[in-house]
Amino acid sequence: MKKFFIFLHSYYDKAQTKEFIGGMLLILGAAFFNLVFGYFSAIFAVYLSFMKWDYIGPMEFVGFKNYEIVLRDLYRGIIGAPYLLTPFFTGFKNIIIYTLMVVPAQTFLALILAALANQRIRGAQFYKLAYFLPGTTCPVIISLIFIWLFMKKGFINYMIQFFAPGFAPDWLNDRNYLLPAIAIVAIWGTSGHFTVSFLAALQAIPRDLYEAAMLDGAGPIRRFIFITIPLLRPMIVYVVVMGVIGALQMFDLAWVMAGSSGGPGGSGYTIALDIYNEAFTRLRPGVAAAKSLFLFTIIFITTYLFQKRYGKVIR
Amino acid sequence: MKNDIVKLSWFIVTYIVLTGFALVYLIPFIRSITASFMTWEQASRFPPEFFPNPFTLENYEKLFRLELFPRWILNSALYTGIIVFGNVILTSMAGYAFARLRFPGRDALFSVLLALLMIPGFVTLVPNYIIIYKLGLVDNILGLALLSIADVSSIFLMRQYYASFPSDLFEAARLDGCGPVKAFFYIAFPLGKPAIGAVAVYQFLGAWNAFLGPLVFLRTPENFTLPVGLSFAFQRSMWVEYTPIIAGSVLAAMPTLILFVTLNKYLIRGIVITGGKG
Repeated sequence: MKKFFIFLHSYYDKAQTKEFIGGMLLILGAAFFNLVFGYFSAIFAVYLSFMKWDYIGPMEFVGFKNYEIVLRDLYRGIIGAPYLLTPFFTGFKNIIIYTLMVVPAQTFLALILAALANQRIRGAQFYKLAYFLPGTTCPVIISLIFIWLFMKKGFINYMIQFFAPGFAPDWLNDRNYLLPAIAIVAIWGTSGHFTVSFLAALQAIPRDLYEAAMLDGAGPIRRFIFITIPLLRPMIVYVVVMGVIGALQMFDLAWVMAGSSGGPGGSGYTIALDIYNEAFTRLRPGVAAAKSLFLFTIIFITTYLFQKRYGKVIR
Repeated sequence: MKNDIVKLSWFIVTYIVLTGFALVYLIPFIRSITASFMTWEQASRFPPEFFPNPFTLENYEKLFRLELFPRWILNSALYTGIIVFGNVILTSMAGYAFARLRFPGRDALFSVLLALLMIPGFVTLVPNYIIIYKLGLVDNILGLALLSIADVSSIFLMRQYYASFPSDLFEAARLDGCGPVKAFFYIAFPLGKPAIGAVAVYQFLGAWNAFLGPLVFLRTPENFTLPVGLSFAFQRSMWVEYTPIIAGSVLAAMPTLILFVTLNKYLIRGIVITGGKG
């Protein structure tokens, strides 16, 4: 026994094995949790998507039936069935519209604000802080506050009055305005965050470039279009990709502002809400897994195509 | 002369746009803080009023009369504490090992972990629920915390940080007979403070603001965290008025607001390293 320990000790004392064992020890915790709750779960999700199950009884292999449910839902939605019959299609349609509203708006806004705040002006720090603040606040809390601001006789309708008199929709109870209201909150909440990302990238652009352009007589707008935008392209791609990933998975805002069934006419329903409902109210984890893999595919394809077209995101 | 006028008007436009947007971003905060001291009768008035009159603490009293509310605060604090502590320990150890130690399969394992960033949380949600359920940890803050106790982007941040050190430092320790584990605790951990701080701040924000995980994994109202609790209170219409919800939101946003005001430089610098995963 003692010999064994001496052997173990001399084995451990060799620098190489020491480093191996030490490395393993240090990585063990982090690797374990990620392998179980990341990889094992992802593989389990694929397995689950071929199963019919209700959490209690035995699992039953059903082949591609869960995917068939998803596709039939989409097909029925396309030929125009009402939203109660086509929850996934409704969520899919809404989330695409939502992404098309949010991502361009927040990227554009963040870019403009960052370019303006990047000039040599007093108080740049204050503006940075003001823009970044919503990004650090809990989305649920933001939604709760905006529910109150969006009320029919609320603050937002009061402000709108000055710009468009007579326009006072009941945002959250009107099926035409619910999704735009959620999009406005999302843009408000995330654009400042991306402003800071852009500011970081802007600070890396050498000032000489601008000075040279200024000597050549280029005005601020021309400098922005011909110097800033091309040099910021990697960051723009990054912000768009991150924005798309976030927007397609939007859950918190819809849950609070529209409710779990998506509000009037399902106009605030999203894929994420549908996955939640499938798994925890309709109790069909198999179908939920199939839907989540569908969502993964959409995210993967859109971000892949975008990066292929406009350049890779550098992590 | 003409040039000066153009320059001046450009400056004025810049300030108007910047200040306008600063107001857009700040007014909802200011308005909620003032409204939390108003009666609902005043807060819902149209056109809106900006100064509480009469000034009242009634909304906060109503909040704390609900016995669940202090529990939600405690639960949020507990959950956030576990996540921050777990991430600081586990990811700094892993980041150091991935950056500084040489052993077979190191880079392969790191790429494997990094690839997890591509998988959206919704894919692993249901299987994780089943795992936690089988472990008997549903409706338990600890079970929920296990899911995000070693965040991949934190590992990435720590690795990048440790990789930026000159290798002489760790080489010297090695020559002095300091083993890799000992070197971590005596050299790498104290040296890693700036990056560890960034990890702690980001994990704090992530955990304090988390919603989907707590919503799925916590089942009874006594175990809810603040975001889940507040949305629960709202959906169950616990108060006739909306002002207690506003007061609760203000209280729940306070820690992140204070953190932001005191540590904003840190946070903004962290965005540059992580690329802005909030």
